[in-house]
Amino acid sequence: MNAVATTNGIDVPLVVARDLGKAYPKVFRPRDRLRALGKLLLDAGEIESVPVLRDVNLEVVRGESLGLIGENGAGKSTLLKLLTGVLTPTTGSVEVRGRVGALLELGAGFHPEYTGRDNIAMSAALYGLGADELRACLPEIVAFADIGRYIDEPVKHYSSGMVVRLGFAIVAALKPDLLITDEVLAVGDESFQKKCVRWIENYLADGGTLILVSHSMYHIQKLCRHALWLRQGEVAAVGDVFDVTQAYLAYHERKTVGTPDRSVIAAQGIEFQLTQFAVNGSEQDAPTVLNRGDALRLTARVRSRDGRTPVIAFGIMRADGTAVYGVSSEMDGVVPRRESAEIWVAEIVFDDLALLPGTYTIKAHPMDTEGVRLFDTLERGIVVRGNTREFGLIRLPHRWNDALQVELPQNTPRTPSSSRA
Amino acid sequence: MTEPARCAASCKTSMKSTHATTDMARSSRTKTWAITTHFIRRELRSRYLGSLSGSVWALLQPLMQLAIYAFVWTYVFKMRLPGDDAAQTAIVPFLALGVWPWNAFSEAVMRSATAIQDNAGLVGKVAFPHGVLVVAASSASFLLHGVGFAVVLIVIELLGIPVRFVMLPLALLAFAMLYVLALGFGYLFAATQVFVRDLSQVLGQLLPLMMFTAPVLYSRDFLPERFRPWLDWNPFTFYPEYFRAKLLGIGSVEIGAQIVALCVALGVYALGRMVFRRLTARFEDFL
Repeated sequence: MNAVATTNGIDVPLVVARDLGKAYPKVFRPRDRLRALGKLLLDAGEIESVPVLRDVNLEVVRGESLGLIGENGAGKSTLLKLLTGVLTPTTGSVEVRGRVGALLELGAGFHPEYTGRDNIAMSAALYGLGADELRACLPEIVAFADIGRYIDEPVKHYSSGMVVRLGFAIVAALKPDLLITDEVLAVGDESFQKKCVRWIENYLADGGTLILVSHSMYHIQKLCRHALWLRQGEVAAVGDVFDVTQAYLAYHERKTVGTPDRSVIAAQGIEFQLTQFAVNGSEQDAPTVLNRGDALRLTARVRSRDGRTPVIAFGIMRADGTAVYGVSSEMDGVVPRRESAEIWVAEIVFDDLALLPGTYTIKAHPMDTEGVRLFDTLERGIVVRGNTREFGLIRLPHRWNDALQVELPQNTPRTPSSSRA
Repeated sequence: MTEPARCAASCKTSMKSTHATTDMARSSRTKTWAITTHFIRRELRSRYLGSLSGSVWALLQPLMQLAIYAFVWTYVFKMRLPGDDAAQTAIVPFLALGVWPWNAFSEAVMRSATAIQDNAGLVGKVAFPHGVLVVAASSASFLLHGVGFAVVLIVIELLGIPVRFVMLPLALLAFAMLYVLALGFGYLFAATQVFVRDLSQVLGQLLPLMMFTAPVLYSRDFLPERFRPWLDWNPFTFYPEYFRAKLLGIGSVEIGAQIVALCVALGVYALGRMVFRRLTARFEDFL
């Protein structure tokens, strides 16, 4: 929390996390706690623990806004606690520069027995504010929290919304270099949410840095330029906010409506079942990133229960569901390769991919030998990057007749995200 | 996709950030001090001083306690100090110089022991040096009982029993040593309490034991000869004997015992700090 490169420090990262990992100790019985104590004191051996976060690499520069998304229990709060220094990492390191204002899981550690005012004083002391500074910003805090006479009542009488109002008001008054908030917007009412969003927008416009956890993709997309998706303690995707949130939403779509659970299907033993679907060799749920003109290679493995040859179909859709192209092995008059008694493999390659930059969903389906019935579905996402002002879905082969070729106009530099719009 | 999320900075950055530098200049030491004083004030208020009559109560309470002790020891137990010439009332200051240091010490240790656990909500949400919670709990106890101690000394003097106020600086030094000892135990138990939850229960049982094996409510001379050296194993023994020797001129404490007591206080403090330092980073994992 000391030296911080400021005025010229545009590129100085405020937060640097390297191979960050956290494991919580497995302690259920008092005996485990005693043993853990002994091991910690004597530096003897590892405490048995459950990993909740693995290999997180992160760099947030001044002026950056990063959204953290992920399911419940994905490790978002743990990551925030590591960044704020509340938790000590098990592996790797965290470095944070500048004044940090953090609002973790509702409230800023308020003491329930003390009044709002007392708790403001406590937070101020914890953030290193002097008495004079506190006096100066107290009216601002009280006004921002806007909880009326409750400011002089014990915090235990507060509704959860009021706690967040007060917590946010304090953090806002601190004008931190880095603002870290965990699900703050979810609790406040409509008008307070608007107030917070407006405040954060101004804060970001003034060069503030934000790390925001939210389950509201709307808020994430509105306030953050980049996003990091945590899944089961690991980084599933990181990058432009729209790419990551779309991948995350697509993942949820698949989880809820699509094929319910792969293991259930396997147990049911349907006639033709997809056992593998890889995009350019990758089986991750996170979207594969390609450049326009790259080759797209889709590989599907199908288990055929009765040993009959399946037909394998592939389809490409725009993220909004518009079909772009679909083809099956039967249409092209090819037969998947038989890998073993039950397993058949098909691989299709689109050389010189004609898709324009954007996010696409790729599907694979096994069909019966006749190519009539469709059995199973797996989806993957791809992101096509590139700078172009062409619009539509794909580049169609074309030429200009009787036209003079001038120098290619210099495209205005664009970030991948804006070129998709 | 897992490469660091190194993201382009916005060019709006340069506008802000001048205000930050002044904040950064504030050293972490002053910040820790500000936090500590805040928590001490909160501690004090949460005991008696919160209510309107609180500050009056803080002065009255030690006097009432002293009056009750005086009554019980003089009329019920009919205890008299060794030496036949001793006045019957001499037992009152004698007791006071045992009971007040003990109250400060035991309360400081008990309060410190649960300081981290009692503030689990805060420890889990804000990063700050956890030691301030222990320091606040101990300091508040010593401040409160220190004031009580002073009031009692003045009352004793007013009652006509001479107190050697010239020795007060030495007594204060010993009181400070006792504070260091209590702080050492406080650190040790506060850290351990996070892992071993029954510790505070056990302490509640052990502390009275410690009181009765130290000459708080009695004098070493009351014991049979062969038991007397045993008292020296109790780290608290030194304090009532020293206060009585210096302030009332009852008995004496050898220089060797003073050095030992100082070493014990510093040793316990060092041990407590070491254990606390070693465990503090893991508190949130176990709370």
